[in-house]
Amino acid sequence: MLQFLIKRLGQSLVLILIVTVITFFLMNLAPGGPASMMRMDATEAEREAIAERLGLNDPVTVRYGKWLGNAVQGDFGPSLSSGEQVIDRIVDRFPYTLQLAAWTVLFSVVIGVVLGIISARNRNTWKDYTINFGSVIGLSVPSFWMAIMLILLFSVQFQLLPSSGTGDDAGFMDRFKSMIMPVIILSTSTLPTIVRFTRSSMLEVASQNYVRTARAKGVKERTVIYSHALRNALIPVISIIGVLIPRLLSGTVIVESVFGWPGMGRLIVEAAQSRDYNLVMGVTVIATILVVFSNFVVDIIYSKVDPRVKNLA
Amino acid sequence: MMLRKVIAVFLLVALILAGCGDQENQGNSSTKPGEVQKGGNVSIPIVGDPIFNPWHPNAYAESNIVNRVLFQGLTKPGLDNSPTANLAKEWSTSDDGLVWTFLLKEGVKWHDGEEFDAEDVAFTFNDLVLNEALGSNGASNYKTLDKVVVVDPYTVEFHLTSPFAALPSYLAFNSEILPAHKFEGVEDPWDYIEFNKENPVGTGPFKFDKYVSGQSLTLKKNDEFHNGAPNLDSVTFKILPDLNTQIAQALSNELDIFVLEDKSSLKRIEQASNLDLVTADITRYFWIAVDQENPKFQDVKVRQAMLHAIDRETIIDTVINGYGTVANAAITPDQKQYFKDDLKTYGFDPEKAKELLKEAGWEDSDGDGILDKDGEKFSFTFDIALQGDMEQIAVLVQQYLKDVGFDVKLNTLEWNAMIQKNIIERDFDMMLNWWSYPSDPDVLAQYHSSNAGKGNNIPGYKNEELDELLEKGQSTSDPDERKVIYDEIQDHMAENLPYIYLWYPQELSVRNSRLSGLPDLHFGGTLHYINEWSVTK
Amino acid sequence: MSELTQVGTIKEPRQETRIGTFIRKLAKNKIAFISLIFLVLVHLGVFIGQFIWTVSPEAVDPANALASWSATHPLGTDDLGRDVLSRLMYGGQITLLVGFFSMVCTVLVGGLVGATAGYFGGWIDVVLMRFTEAMMSIPNFFLALVALTVLGKSPVMVIIVIAFTSWMEIARVVYGETLKWKESEFVEASNSMGSNPLRTLFKHVIPQIIPTIIIASTLGIAWAILTESAISYLGLGIQPPTATWGNMLQNAQQYIWTAPILGVLPGLSITLVVLAYNFLGDGLRDLLDPKHHNK
Repeated sequence: MLQFLIKRLGQSLVLILIVTVITFFLMNLAPGGPASMMRMDATEAEREAIAERLGLNDPVTVRYGKWLGNAVQGDFGPSLSSGEQVIDRIVDRFPYTLQLAAWTVLFSVVIGVVLGIISARNRNTWKDYTINFGSVIGLSVPSFWMAIMLILLFSVQFQLLPSSGTGDDAGFMDRFKSMIMPVIILSTSTLPTIVRFTRSSMLEVASQNYVRTARAKGVKERTVIYSHALRNALIPVISIIGVLIPRLLSGTVIVESVFGWPGMGRLIVEAAQSRDYNLVMGVTVIATILVVFSNFVVDIIYSKVDPRVKNLA
Repeated sequence: MMLRKVIAVFLLVALILAGCGDQENQGNSSTKPGEVQKGGNVSIPIVGDPIFNPWHPNAYAESNIVNRVLFQGLTKPGLDNSPTANLAKEWSTSDDGLVWTFLLKEGVKWHDGEEFDAEDVAFTFNDLVLNEALGSNGASNYKTLDKVVVVDPYTVEFHLTSPFAALPSYLAFNSEILPAHKFEGVEDPWDYIEFNKENPVGTGPFKFDKYVSGQSLTLKKNDEFHNGAPNLDSVTFKILPDLNTQIAQALSNELDIFVLEDKSSLKRIEQASNLDLVTADITRYFWIAVDQENPKFQDVKVRQAMLHAIDRETIIDTVINGYGTVANAAITPDQKQYFKDDLKTYGFDPEKAKELLKEAGWEDSDGDGILDKDGEKFSFTFDIALQGDMEQIAVLVQQYLKDVGFDVKLNTLEWNAMIQKNIIERDFDMMLNWWSYPSDPDVLAQYHSSNAGKGNNIPGYKNEELDELLEKGQSTSDPDERKVIYDEIQDHMAENLPYIYLWYPQELSVRNSRLSGLPDLHFGGTLHYINEWSVTK
Repeated sequence: MSELTQVGTIKEPRQETRIGTFIRKLAKNKIAFISLIFLVLVHLGVFIGQFIWTVSPEAVDPANALASWSATHPLGTDDLGRDVLSRLMYGGQITLLVGFFSMVCTVLVGGLVGATAGYFGGWIDVVLMRFTEAMMSIPNFFLALVALTVLGKSPVMVIIVIAFTSWMEIARVVYGETLKWKESEFVEASNSMGSNPLRTLFKHVIPQIIPTIIIASTLGIAWAILTESAISYLGLGIQPPTATWGNMLQNAQQYIWTAPILGVLPGLSITLVVLAYNFLGDGLRDLLDPKHHNK
């Protein structure tokens, strides 16, 4: 087990390193420089001064070296657009993305599994088809379009839900209302997959011998489903959650932009557009660590839950 | 089964709760006439995280709005748009125009209780603005400033290297004063987060209360404000990058005032009973710049032909819903003292355009629809940055030019890429953009031949006559003398088209009808009077 | 009555179905069939339609902006007076082409990686699959954003970026399938005859995994089209004035208050085409992949 952990850790570190190299060199290929240099009326002298201050006149490799040296000590440097420490800006925004992601996963898993079971148990009936149809629609509608339609409907027309912001200042109810639409939109990329996975998993498990045996033994139908089939059917579902997390992160970029949600997804877009090199690097590293870590956790859960794998680990 | 029931109940409860939420009250009551309502909050949207330091290289756009409320400058725009007293009570110039003496207001307090005095002015200019290594935002406006000298705690002298008549106007334009005592011992003022991002200290009518990055900034009233305590209790700046969200919030009474850059949602706002639309003149003009080093564009007839070819009126009506007037020179109509309105103008006349081009030697001799001269075709690339209305305007301009025979290729760029290519590298045939500047006719920076290439003279127009006039205008302080000079300058501009002038846009702002007390100025100007704003409940 | 009491697995159907039989079987799955017809019609409309409806998508007519539908403009005009029907057509060409070529790149790269890893095994397997897993665990949309900001927004870049973020799933699936078919009799026979492993790979293994690839391709186009529109929404995709369904949606955003139809049409087009591809892919999966066989 320990050996496995160490190996994974090593692999993850190499991975993160490669990502940083790619991102750094990519960013520096971009035409233009940090936004402060890019004002219409900035004179050449001003631009020079800023470039000098930000250390942009060193060759790219040197700058990467400097960045790496600081990064491993946890110092991602100052954000080029505001001077704040990059790590502070990320820490400010990260909990909001985490909030959305957590609720989306919760919502998707709970509703998804339920719908998947219904679908499997009533396969080829109208219930199954409707759920499937709904899933495909969810997967097919462009998320930002749906977001705008929802805002038009629920915020402008009916004034039921806030069109943006987190409702932080107000009470729990406002915060909850602010999350409803973003979570729903984010779920359109995760919910359908969980539904289908649960369904096919249940179907596969149901045809297994031990289920038939249980049934033959006269065990109550409900027990068959919940104690025997479900538990085993859920195992692959756990693994799919790991795959969905990067997709979720991508989704937050758009959802946070439309709903004015101050999370990390929006931060990277702002950072890339204003050529805030340090911020882009910081966010990419954190996002990579996040994904790697969550995959890791999922693998561990998987190994604990799936008896076949448990015995191997 | 059980699980399903639980989920269903959960969803039902959630839906009910969502419906029972507190709704914003529609503002409808009014105060008795003459009575100013005290208290309340005003919400203003900004598109990004602000920096609480007007001189920071990244402090533009959204930061300007906030800093105008947090800090104060020596002067501020008066109700007629010319500079009026603020932190400076009065000012005068020496005979040679090289020394300006400013008498400062006494008894002004910083938000932390310290007294404002000449040291703060000296610090702001000597240590921040004039320190070239810092690359302060707007430092180039003070090129002619040599140093600021403290005469006594409430008197400062601005020592110039050459006369600068527009100084008071520039001091009213994003040139707020910062507290010397807060920056003592600070090595790098741009990395001083404690001030720039956390706890700014200014002399403005509202002081810092709370800030959540990416979300909102709240300022609370400063009872010690030097022009009297504000009517409002607080001002909230909401960080909303998405325009549609801003409109949605304005419609639901969550935002009070903002500038409508994009006219596409105009009809909807006009229908809203709780919102007013206010137009104002601003010191801004849209232009096309052609590379004046390129022989094709050097013949003035070619430039004049271009203007005849473009139907500016229609573009104004279509893209900006009529909120603009055709421009013929760089001085904007809001500068009432200097604006000359009987300039030479170029009406939409494609035939006249073709005539002028013929005189310049350009004709479509081979019938392919493209002008040519001595075997060379009039082809060029038109660069624009994708920002706001630019794409729409550019597509229309391209069509009009094509109609008279120019072979125009449109090249759309991202803003940063455009700056890199067109501004930094000065690599372009034709580009479209705008200038915004303080309310003073001194536009030397954008027109003098010394500023071609590296400075703000983007087209690279070089003309001795214009240079002389500009220099004279900059150094003369007497308004009547200046009027004569700038009249000549405007005539020259309209005739020779150093920039190809498009229009003066009008600023359109959306305001909630519960707001009152705003002076008759553009949005940026009204912010200088935010202490007089009030809201009816 | 619960339908979980299903009989066991069904024997693998022979892969050499002829087109006729194929269509007949597909027709049994009505939704998939309708989707197929719909897609054929859409493609015909988008690519051939320009010869029938000859209005230019670029011709501006500012006096006639945001007009409602009329004889000359069946779907109205946009904010610059350009014909919406025409833009929808030309925009569709680009969107569908981008979708198609992204899918081709994705399948080529993913398929090659997966098949090679699965077939040759050993250290090739380890390296390739570790690499694939690594690529899956980085936030590649973030990288894609950075890449697009930097390298410009030409259609080629968009295709590359989409492929870059999507090939891994296909690689995994192909890998699994290759492993399965590696053990089949054809391959054993071929190997025992001493054939070139590459030849065996291409002649015997790959044809067996073609069904999987077809399914993946169909779903891949759907995903690519959605990604292109998301990228355009962020302003990082193909730039105006060239029309794509994605950037038409982005442009229409400002007009949701005054002319919401401008946003509905491209949004609907994207949704319906993506839906159709998804249903088709599902139908194909039911048809070709016995594990998911419904009947």
